[in-house]
Amino acid sequence: MELSVVIPVYNEEESIKPLYDSLVKALDKLLLDYEIILVDDGSKDKTFSNASSIAQIDHRVKVIKLKKNYGQTTGLHAGLQYARGRYIVTMDGDLQNDPDDIHNFLLKINEGNDIVLGWRYQRKDFLISRKIPSKIANWLITKITRVPVKDNGCAIRAYRGEIIKKFPMYSEMHRLMPVITALSGAKFSQIKVKHHPRKFGSSKYGLSRIYKVLIDMTALKIIFTFFHLPLYGFGIFAVLSGIICLLTFIYALIDVLYNPGDTIVTLMGIGILFGSLSVFLTFLGMIADLIYKSGDIKIEKLLKAK
Amino acid sequence: MSNSIDLSVIISITDLHSHDKIPDLYFRYKKGVEQTNLRYEFIYVTDRDSVKVNAELNDLLNIGESIKIIQLGRWFGDATALNAGFENSSGKIILTLAPSQQINETEIPKLIDSLADSDMVICRRTKRLGNIFHNVQAKIFHYLIKLALGIAYHDLGCYARAFKRDVLLNVYIYGDQNRFLPLLANRYGFKVKEIDVKPLHEELSKRVYSFGHYTERLVNLISIFFLIKFTRKPLRFFGFPGILIFTAGLVLALYLFWLRMFAGESLADKPMVLVSILLIVFGIQLFAIGLVAEIIIFTHAKDSKEYIIEEIIDESKSKREDAKKSLEEQI
Repeated sequence: MELSVVIPVYNEEESIKPLYDSLVKALDKLLLDYEIILVDDGSKDKTFSNASSIAQIDHRVKVIKLKKNYGQTTGLHAGLQYARGRYIVTMDGDLQNDPDDIHNFLLKINEGNDIVLGWRYQRKDFLISRKIPSKIANWLITKITRVPVKDNGCAIRAYRGEIIKKFPMYSEMHRLMPVITALSGAKFSQIKVKHHPRKFGSSKYGLSRIYKVLIDMTALKIIFTFFHLPLYGFGIFAVLSGIICLLTFIYALIDVLYNPGDTIVTLMGIGILFGSLSVFLTFLGMIADLIYKSGDIKIEKLLKAK
Repeated sequence: MSNSIDLSVIISITDLHSHDKIPDLYFRYKKGVEQTNLRYEFIYVTDRDSVKVNAELNDLLNIGESIKIIQLGRWFGDATALNAGFENSSGKIILTLAPSQQINETEIPKLIDSLADSDMVICRRTKRLGNIFHNVQAKIFHYLIKLALGIAYHDLGCYARAFKRDVLLNVYIYGDQNRFLPLLANRYGFKVKEIDVKPLHEELSKRVYSFGHYTERLVNLISIFFLIKFTRKPLRFFGFPGILIFTAGLVLALYLFWLRMFAGESLADKPMVLVSILLIVFGIQLFAIGLVAEIIIFTHAKDSKEYIIEEIIDESKSKREDAKKSLEEQI
């Protein structure tokens, strides 16, 4: 199998058929062996029956029905685990992506990239509620991680199959997938894609995701930065607060020697607090070290086969 | 197996449980279970130290009743007992019942029948008799759950539950989380149905709980809340208060610094200084704990599959398998 196209869908009964038609039209031109995996993320409408009636006729279409609505990351994860293609393309089920772009993605992958990301350079969305928050989020992500991804929200992406399957996916990680893979050293490139305005249904994303994205991002950045030695990461802060503790103690000592009348309770208090923080962080670092060692995801194994 | 079992009834019981006379209750339950016309087995889970319970169970064995008794070396809680019973059961449907009669045995067939269109059936005892204090307390408990998790069940204290094997294969509970099994099952995507049952008139157990019981319940509630809401994103949970407290401390510290520098006030005798530093330190600690939790999730994300696939339609695969099968038959 050369290519798997993974599409999570949720309440998209009208979109399924047009999506299938345009996909087949675009993919047949490529002359390769492909499969289309539709993941029904617990839809309440006729999405599943529409999709499965297509799958009965066209055996290249596979449908995975999840028990309930778990969210897009889970849908993607289920589809990715089932996919057998050497290359995997993921996209949205709401017709906002253009299947004709898949060709360009595959060309880019063949140039030696591990991941190719879409970039909606002419977004057809509402400015205030969609474009601006997404601009801010993208800017913040780039600032924190120093991975210059232009459009983290764009769903159309192509991956090398064996790479994407090894990555942990949980919570709402799918948005951060490009950054995660890039942080771990995968080679990525970005191409401009066409973006259609939504035809059916309504958008499923809210306005304020910035806190969530930001906090997840920070966590990932820290995890990847100190992966080689977690004790070191916590250790820096432990040493820092240890120094503050020491300095306040020394200052208090000098103060009390030269001005015996002064009260130094507050100063000593600050010292003790920072001292305890230092000890606390050291121990946490040890625990983190232990967790890394016992965990089953080893960062060096994430990107090997090539 | 020719005599495969459809229904496993699991009852966990120790001397410490307030329970009805075991043989009486067993025969009552048995009558109810027989009405379902399913092949069944009874599994009692108990511990070694429960002398009285063990004696009564042995009496049942001696009069020729075919029950399974699982004796744990130590009691680790109802949920652990349920797991032990589950591992030794073979029914497609599991029915758990309380050691003291909570529902009328005639309701059992109804419970099993309702499983046709759901994965788990739990009971709601309507118009419960009992003292007002207890009823109010139960209301508050369920209201808290609804508030925290947005899932509304009305009678989690009723252990008469029927569910498919799949549920316990996917949902892991431990310790005393038995009570919360429906909540966890719901989160995994199983359909949980609540049916109304009539209360018993002779519901006798005196519900007088110690203070420790309530604290235990509260801790359980908090752990379930965390388990359901934040296990996949711990830093969001710890990070927010962490950042908030840290910022509060920082602002306070800067303000005091400003006072010292420009207003010339002495800080040595101001406890506010300590408060601000305490807040900063506390904020950092919370954030760091959240980070460690996040590392745990990240490095272990592979073993915790938290979704259930209901159906896969893959005609090409089934065709391949058919071809393989026919090939094997030819050989």
